[in-house]
Amino acid sequence: MTDPTREHGAPPLDRGTVSTEEPPQTTQLTTPAPGGRRRAVAVRVAAVVAIAVVALGLAYWRTGNEVVVTQAVLTGLMIGGVYGLVAMGLTLIFGVLDIVNFAHGAFLAVALYITVEMVGRFGAHPYLALLVSVPLMFLLGAAVQRFILSGAMGKPLENQLLITLGLALLIDNGLLLFYGPNPQSARLPNDTGINVFGAVVTVGRLLAFAVALVLAGLLYLLLQRTRLGTAIRAVAANDSGAQMVGIDTRRIYMATFAIGTACAGAAGVLVAPLVTIEPTTGELFNIVAFVVVVLGGMGNVVGALVGGLLIGLTEQLGALYLPGQSPLLSVFIVFVLVLFLRPQGLFGRAA
Amino acid sequence: MRKPWIAAVAVAMPLTLAACGGSAPPGTEGTGGGEAGGSGDTITIGSLHPLSGAFAADGQQMDNGAQLAVDAVNEAGGIECLDGAQLELASGDTQGAPEVGQSEAQRLIQEGAVALVGTYNSAVSQNVAAVAERNQVPFVIDVSSADEILQQGYQYTFRLQPSAAVLAQRGAQYLAEVSEQAGDPAQQVAILHEQGPFGTAIAQGFTAEAESQGMTIGPVISYDPASVSDFTTQITAVREAGADVMMVAGYYRDGVLVANAVDTVQPGLDAVWGVANGAFDTPQFPGEVGDAGEGFFDANYRLDMTNEDTQALAELYRETHGDDIRTAAVLSYDAVQVIADALGRACSTDPTELRDAISETELDSLIAQDGPIAFDETGENENAAPILMQVVDGTVQQVFPSEYAETEPVYPASPNS
Repeated sequence: MTDPTREHGAPPLDRGTVSTEEPPQTTQLTTPAPGGRRRAVAVRVAAVVAIAVVALGLAYWRTGNEVVVTQAVLTGLMIGGVYGLVAMGLTLIFGVLDIVNFAHGAFLAVALYITVEMVGRFGAHPYLALLVSVPLMFLLGAAVQRFILSGAMGKPLENQLLITLGLALLIDNGLLLFYGPNPQSARLPNDTGINVFGAVVTVGRLLAFAVALVLAGLLYLLLQRTRLGTAIRAVAANDSGAQMVGIDTRRIYMATFAIGTACAGAAGVLVAPLVTIEPTTGELFNIVAFVVVVLGGMGNVVGALVGGLLIGLTEQLGALYLPGQSPLLSVFIVFVLVLFLRPQGLFGRAA
Repeated sequence: MRKPWIAAVAVAMPLTLAACGGSAPPGTEGTGGGEAGGSGDTITIGSLHPLSGAFAADGQQMDNGAQLAVDAVNEAGGIECLDGAQLELASGDTQGAPEVGQSEAQRLIQEGAVALVGTYNSAVSQNVAAVAERNQVPFVIDVSSADEILQQGYQYTFRLQPSAAVLAQRGAQYLAEVSEQAGDPAQQVAILHEQGPFGTAIAQGFTAEAESQGMTIGPVISYDPASVSDFTTQITAVREAGADVMMVAGYYRDGVLVANAVDTVQPGLDAVWGVANGAFDTPQFPGEVGDAGEGFFDANYRLDMTNEDTQALAELYRETHGDDIRTAAVLSYDAVQVIADALGRACSTDPTELRDAISETELDSLIAQDGPIAFDETGENENAAPILMQVVDGTVQQVFPSEYAETEPVYPASPNS
């Protein structure tokens, strides 16, 4: 994700500061004053709150029942957390390697089957599979990047896209060959419902949601507070510049892809008890994950989490406004609206 | 030093390819599929099912079912009046995609298939039916419910499973009868259906019949089976509306999600009532959802487990494939039997004579239905009908009508009570 600077060849925008200068080349966009930024944030928060109130009011008006609305919000948040978790790894790969990774859903499916194996063979608690799945998927990601994708780095986008698409087909059908088409399951023991204001949520969903938040936090810390994270961000911002200051970009590419795949590994384990496990299950998450990535701003981990929550809520509330439509309809209405107002995504930097 | 290697490889390559190619196309064995009418030949039947992709579980079962029927016919001496000609199954993978199904159908016909069976997905069957009609090759649909397929005036297409209209109507009748017998007639029925042609047709047919039986319908909630991931909101809406029965028309994955959501929300229903549901009557369902699915009903076409031949087939399937046979696979078995029976009466593989013989079919079925397989002039199986099943103690049992009942229906069957 390079950030094309505005200084060079930027069209003469109709701004007061620009018009006084003679050649547009020398203009520099001034960053807004801190006070102005705070005001902008306040306006944005107010707008979000206002939209939320309107959305809830509308939902209540459509259903006439506050329990249904509460349930929709609660379910939306829980599902959104999972979407965010799936999208986090994708957005990292997208942001740093500029790869549209169509194999992300397939990696998730691999993690689902790792969970099935752990539960089936060792009778382990499904979430204990995290300890196996995350390191395994990290290694798988590193290997895939090193041996399959590294040759296509810097080549046209279609090359990587087709490689990942082929990889997805390979993994899906490999799972089909190995495990057969019959659906499998990895149920949580004692998965009871918890009452929240008349609505219910299962322990499993709550746990998945909580772990998603924790993982998002860890990933954020990794990116912001560690040397590796700083290097990853440097490569994301400008890879040739990063190379010039001595960062081994090939290693960073490999590490990033591995971390992203490990995220899919974690997500797979967390959703395993919530879904029917079939070789194609991972694909279900692909479209939504891509929407979340673009919505949240490519390469932005926090954006992915917020985007996930937004999509989860939209799906559930949208089903109340527009009964009988695909949840994807309302999702894409919101998607188009957001991109219309903020083409760079909710948290993306202007490009 | 390198050149001889290259030459050797160059010579070996076409040879290996030729060796592979020689045995690959199934229709070309013997004296060639194109002239399969000769005596003592193998006769190729095309089997079109989704062997990969999201519907692979059912598709592979169905292909296995068709193969078992072919084996059974061959073991019994083949087609008698064609000098004991052996049957052979040529399988095509539709991937559940209409355009793939269409080209696979074309391929199988070109390779000499005298008839086709398939395809599970209504949209695929619609395209295959058009191909069959154009090539004048008989096509026996095992599973595909959309009413429109047989409303095009096709001469070469026949269907074994009951149409959506019959499924929905009987589903509502059974609900009225079973709930009245139990002294607790269903009053308000909520409908939860997938939004495609299948779910919508079932919901409409069910609504019409249920209302004429004096029930009120509502709320009606539809969903996208491909992307839905949770039903707690929908089931909460059903609970808040105070419905006493919930009718569900959908597929496997969404059916499991419904059961889990019902378990979580506890909507206080007298019954969860599937109609042609792809989950509630499968042997896998009770295993996957555990207690959450206990007492669920489903009105659907069904292999008749009170029939000894069906039991034998189920046993054979378990031995050969290590899995419980699904109803869809039995329908594929029946579809091949229909073709074999017609071949035996037509004493010819001429497609037109075969078609005429199929239209005069009167063959006992391994499926629970109103009588032997017989086709009306549109190609529908006249005697196709659903029966009612219920999950009892973790297994799916036939419960209604009484001639097919393995055990009595439990009504009300309030889930998780």
